Amino acid sequence: MSIHSAFRTPHSPLAPTRRQFVAGLGCGFGMLGLASALAGEGLVGEGLGATSSLADAGNPLANRLGHFPARAKRVIFLFMNGGPSHVDTFDPKPALTERHGQDGPSGKTRKGGKLMKSPFAFHRCGESGIEVSELFPEVGRRIDDLCVIRSMHGDSSAHERALLLMNSGNMQPIRPSWGSWLTYGLGTENQDLPGYVVLCPGKPVVGPQLWGNSFLPAVYQGTHINNESVDPKRVIRYLENGRLGRGDQRRQLDLVQQLNALHLAERGPDSELEARIQSLEIAYRMQEEALDVFDLSREPPSVRDRYGKGEFADACLLARRLAERGVRVTQVYYGNNQPWDDHKDITKHRDHAEKSDRPIAALLDDLKSRGLLDDTLVVWGGEFGRTPTSEGEKGRDHHSRGFTMWLAGGGIKRGLAYGSTDELGIDAVENRVHVHDLHATILHLLGLDHERLTFRYSGRDFRLTDVHGTLVQQILA
Amino acid sequence: MRFNLPRLALRQHYRSGSGAASHACVGVLWACSLLLAEATRAAEPPPAEPPPDPAQIEFFEKQIRPLLANHCHECHGPDKQEGKLRLDSRAGALAGGEYGPAVVAGKPDESWLVKAIRYDHDDVQMPPKAKLPVEKIEALTAWIKLGAPWPETAGSVRPAVAEEMFEISAEDRAYWAFQPVGQSPLPEVRDAAWAQSPVDRFVLARLEAHDLPPAPPAERRTLLRRIHFDLVGLPPTPDEMEAFLADDSPDATARAVDRLLASPHYGERWGRHWLDVARYGEDQAHTFEARKYPDGFRYRDWVIGALNRDLPYDQFVQQQIAGDLLDGPDRAERLAAVGFLSLGPVYYGRAVADEIDDRIDTVTRGVLGLTVACARCHDHKFDPVGTADYYALAGVFASTQYKEYVLTEAGEVDDSIDYLPTDKRKGKDKDKEQPVRPVIHSLQESDKPADMRIHLRGNADNLGDEVPRRFLAILSSEPPPPFTQGSGRLELSQALIDPENPLTARVLVNRVWAQHFGVGIVPTPSNFGALGQPPSHPELLDWLASRFMAQGWSLKTLHRRLMLTAVYQQSSGQHRANAAKDPDNRWLWRMHRRRLEVEPWRDAMLAAAGNLAPQIGGPSEDLSAPANRRRTLYGEVSRHNLHPVLRLFDFPDPNLTSDRRAATIVPLQQLYVLNSEFLALQADGLAERALAASADDEARIRHAYELAFGRWPNEREVQLGREFLATANNDTSDEDQQAVWQQYAHALLGSNEFAFID
Repeated sequence: MSIHSAFRTPHSPLAPTRRQFVAGLGCGFGMLGLASALAGEGLVGEGLGATSSLADAGNPLANRLGHFPARAKRVIFLFMNGGPSHVDTFDPKPALTERHGQDGPSGKTRKGGKLMKSPFAFHRCGESGIEVSELFPEVGRRIDDLCVIRSMHGDSSAHERALLLMNSGNMQPIRPSWGSWLTYGLGTENQDLPGYVVLCPGKPVVGPQLWGNSFLPAVYQGTHINNESVDPKRVIRYLENGRLGRGDQRRQLDLVQQLNALHLAERGPDSELEARIQSLEIAYRMQEEALDVFDLSREPPSVRDRYGKGEFADACLLARRLAERGVRVTQVYYGNNQPWDDHKDITKHRDHAEKSDRPIAALLDDLKSRGLLDDTLVVWGGEFGRTPTSEGEKGRDHHSRGFTMWLAGGGIKRGLAYGSTDELGIDAVENRVHVHDLHATILHLLGLDHERLTFRYSGRDFRLTDVHGTLVQQILA
Repeated sequence: MRFNLPRLALRQHYRSGSGAASHACVGVLWACSLLLAEATRAAEPPPAEPPPDPAQIEFFEKQIRPLLANHCHECHGPDKQEGKLRLDSRAGALAGGEYGPAVVAGKPDESWLVKAIRYDHDDVQMPPKAKLPVEKIEALTAWIKLGAPWPETAGSVRPAVAEEMFEISAEDRAYWAFQPVGQSPLPEVRDAAWAQSPVDRFVLARLEAHDLPPAPPAERRTLLRRIHFDLVGLPPTPDEMEAFLADDSPDATARAVDRLLASPHYGERWGRHWLDVARYGEDQAHTFEARKYPDGFRYRDWVIGALNRDLPYDQFVQQQIAGDLLDGPDRAERLAAVGFLSLGPVYYGRAVADEIDDRIDTVTRGVLGLTVACARCHDHKFDPVGTADYYALAGVFASTQYKEYVLTEAGEVDDSIDYLPTDKRKGKDKDKEQPVRPVIHSLQESDKPADMRIHLRGNADNLGDEVPRRFLAILSSEPPPPFTQGSGRLELSQALIDPENPLTARVLVNRVWAQHFGVGIVPTPSNFGALGQPPSHPELLDWLASRFMAQGWSLKTLHRRLMLTAVYQQSSGQHRANAAKDPDNRWLWRMHRRRLEVEPWRDAMLAAAGNLAPQIGGPSEDLSAPANRRRTLYGEVSRHNLHPVLRLFDFPDPNLTSDRRAATIVPLQQLYVLNSEFLALQADGLAERALAASADDEARIRHAYELAFGRWPNEREVQLGREFLATANNDTSDEDQQAVWQQYAHALLGSNEFAFID
C-alpha cells in the first residue's frame, strides 16, 4: 500500500495542477502540501480539464475546461424574485377565461380560491407563434430566440424554500449556490474581476445564502453588488483607497512585493506565497478594471436609452458589460425583497413588466449583435409561478406545481415552447422540468456533467442536483 | 444481507481501475460508491470473489446501470416494486418478479427483461410509456449475454426498513477506528538522539522508513512566534521575545508554552477552533420570524472559560450535550454549555426533521468523527451506521426542547422572574411591556419523550419501524441498550465520553494535532469513517489518545505533549530531496508553513498597532465599527449575512459544522489588504509606535519589524525601508512624516510575512 498514492488527490480545483506545477519548476518541488491537504475532501469528478498555464497553478479561479465542450461560456440569470405569474406572462390559459369565477380544483393551490382569468391579452409572436402576454411586447418580438419552458415545477410554494431550491438545489441553507458550483467547476475567464457577480438593489428574501458557497471554498461565493446606485467606486468593497493616489499606491505595492520577494527567496519555492504575490498584483489591476466595468457613463446615450432607466435596466446593462469581460456567472435580481409577489392585485405585474421588458430586450439585442448570445446562456424566471386561482379579489398566491421560465442563447433551441401545464395552469403535465432538471441542463450547457461535478465533504460526494436532475435534452440546439 | 459486502466489493471495484460516474449521496444507493479516491484505494484488499473483468464492469457502469436507473428504478427500485420486481441489484434482477426471473444470465431470450423491452409480449411492455431506442435494447441484451456482470458495490440494496435487517459484521468491527484505543509500544528508531519525546519516536520511525531526514530545529525567534500564534493567536511582544532569547536554560521552550497555556488568551484561540466545529452562530440563515440568539455569546464565553480552566474534555463534551441535566453548582455555566445544541440552526417554517438532522450531524461529526447524518435516508453506505441508529438519536433530540433561562443581576438562574422572551425583543426603548433580561439560550427535556419511527428514505410521510432511543450500535454492547431516562440526552452524553468509546479521544487528539501541525494524523478530522482518509501514524494516534484519557482528558497536557517535541520545533524550510519524495509533507519532515486564519491575522494587526483591546468575553460586536478593537472572535457571527471580512477570508459557514478552514488566496482579499480602512488604521498605530521609538529611521524600522514580525530587519530590508521613506517625501513636516510612515507600516502589515507563520 502506498500512502503516497493514497494521499494524492485527483483534479481538485484547489490544487488542479500540482504535477504541472512541479514539472514547471523542473526541480521536483511543489509545496502545495497544505493547500491540497485542506482541499483533501474536495475533488471534482474525473475528466475536468486542467488549467492552461503555470501561472494558473494553484489559482482556484483559473479558467478551466469542463467535462466536455461547452455550448455556453457564461450565464446571465435574470431572476424575477417574488414569483411572476405564468398564466399572465408566457402560459396562456383560455380555460381560465371560460371558467372564470368557478371553484378551483381542491387541494392544488395554497388557499383555494376561484379560478381567475388573466387581465392581460396574449398574442402570437414571431415566426414560432409562441403566445406571450401584452406585458412583454419587446421580449415577445424576440420570442424566436427564446425557449419557453412551460412545465417547470418545484417542491415548495414558500418563498424561502423555493428560493433556496432554485439557487442551491436544496430547501435548507446548507448547500452551495449553483453559481458557486459553476465557478468551482470552471473558474472564470477574467482574473481581474470576480467570477460570480450578483446584482441586487438591496437584498432578496433569504439573502446572501442564495449566492453562498456553503461548504465549497469561499472563493466560489457570489460577489454581491448593490446596484441601487451604480457608483463604480462603491460597487465592490474596498475597491478604492481613501488615502493614496494610484501612483503612491503603486509605490507602496512595489515595496510590499520587494519584501515579499526577499521573504520568498529565503523560503521558496512555495506556491502559496507565490499565489499571494500574484494575487496582490491582480487586485491592483482590478481597481481599474472594476471601475471601468461598473461605469455606465462610458456607454453612449443611445445605448442607455435602449435599456431605459431604473435599477433593473442598469443591472441588465451591467450584466452585458460583465459578460463581455468574461465573468462566468451573473445573476440579476429584479429588485429588492420580493417584488413580483403580487398577492393583492395581479395587475401590478404591469409595473414590473414595464421595468423589465425593455432592458431584457436590449440585453438580448446587445448580446446578439456582439456575437455573445452564441455562447452566453440567458435564463429568466422566478422561484415559482402564481396560482391560476385568485387570492382575495384580484391577486394570486405562490405556486410551484407548474410555472414558466425561459432560456436563450448558447446551446438552446430557439423559438420553442417546451412542455405544458394542464388546461388551468395548475400542474406541469407534459415534459415536466423540475428545478433539478434545469440545474442539470444549465451545467450541461456550460460543459459540466451534473453527476460528475462533485465535492467531497463530510464523507460524501455532494453535487448541485443531489441525487436528482435529468438533462432536458429536447431543448438543446 | 451482510453489511460489509458492499464496502469490500467497492474496494475491489476501485482497484480494478474503472472509475465510472461519480455521484452524490442521498437516496440512490449505488451511487455513492463510485469515484472514491484515496480512502478506498488505501484500504487493504480483502480476499473475495474474483472481481468481474474491468471492461465488463465499465460496460455495466457506463451503459447498463444508468439505463436501469433512468428507465426502470422508478417502478422497480427502492421506492416501488411493481410486479414485485426490483432491478437495482443483481440479486433482484435474477430473482425477478411475478412473471419469473427478469434476468437469466447468459440467456437474453429467456429473460423477461429482454422480452419486456422488446415489446414482444402483449401484456409486458416496458418501459410502458415508450419503447427504448434500439441501441439501448441491444446493450441490455448484450449485457445479459455476457452473464449480466454486476459488480457487488453498494448497489446491492439494503432496504432502509427494520432494525433486524441491519447487521454489523465482524469485518465492520475490525475497521481501525472501531478498535479499542491501543497502547502502542514506542517504535525503534536509528537516530534516537533526535527524538526528544515519545511523539518524536513515532514520527521519526516513519521518516526513517521513507528515508526522509527531518528538518533542523527552527530558529528560536521563529519558534516563539509559532508557539504564540498556536496557543494564543497573537504575536509575542518585543519584551517577550527578548526574554525568551535571553533564556538559555533547557526548559525555556517548556516555560514559554506553560506561560501561554496559563494566559486567558489561550481559551480565545482554542475556543474559536471549537466554535468552528460547533457551527456557532447568533441568528438564522432566514430572517422571517427567525429565532435569534442575542445572548448566544454566553456559550462562546463558556467555551473560552472551560478551555482556560482546562475542563477535562470528557466533561467539556458532556456539559455541551446535557449540561441542563447535570447536578451540581454553577447551573448557569452548565446551561450555557448546552449552547452547542441550543444555538443550532432553526429553519424556515420549523422544519423540525432538518433541525434534528443538524444536531445529529454536529454531534456525531464533531465528537465522534462519524457521518451519521448519512443514514437519514438509508443505511450508511460505507460505515456500519443504520437508519435505526439515526432515528434512535433523532428520538433523543425530538424529545428535547429549546428553552430560555432568565438570569438575575447576580448571574443566577431564576425561573420565576418575568422577562421578555428574546423573540419578542424589538430593540432599545421599544421593549417596555416586559423587562429585557439576560438569558441563557439552552435546552430542557420535553414533557413526553418518545421514540421515533424510521423515515423511509428520509420521508416523514413514509414511516417505518419505531426504534428505541439509544446510542450507535457499532459503539454499544450487543444488543444496544435503550436509553431510559427522559430524552436520553444524559445517557447519550455518557456514551460519548465512555473511555471504552474508541472514537471520542482519538477524534479530539487528532483535532488538536491538526491545529498544531496544519494537517491531522487523520487528514479528515470530522470523518474517521471509510470515506475519510486513513491515519498517517495510526500507532501515534492511539498512543496519544490513550495517554490523553489516562491523564484526565487534559487539553493543556496534550498541547505540551505535542509542542515539546523535535517534530513540532522543526524549521519549515525546504529540502529538495525530501520535497521530491514527499511533496505534501505527509511524513512531517518539516513544519508546514501556514497562512494565518482571519482571526489571528486581524488580531495580530491590532496587536502590532498597539490597538488590541484586552478584555475577554461579552456580547458580540460589529466588526466594521472603526472603534472595534477587540479580538475577531468577538465579532458578530451571522448565519444570515456573515460579515464580509470573515466571509472573504475563509471563515466557515456557520450553518454547518466545520473541521478545517480552507485557505484560499484571491484578489478580493488583497483589495481589503490594499484599501480597507482597518489596515490603514492599524498602520497608523504601528507607524506611531515606530516613530515614538527613536529619532533615527533605522531604529524605527527595526522597531516596526519587531512589532510586526518579531525579528530585526536585515540590511537589504533596512535599505528598502529607507529608500521608501526618503523618496516618498522629502518634506520633513511631522504630518508628512507620519503619512509616509503610515504607508510604510501598511506595507509591512500587507506583506506575506505578516500573513504566514513558519
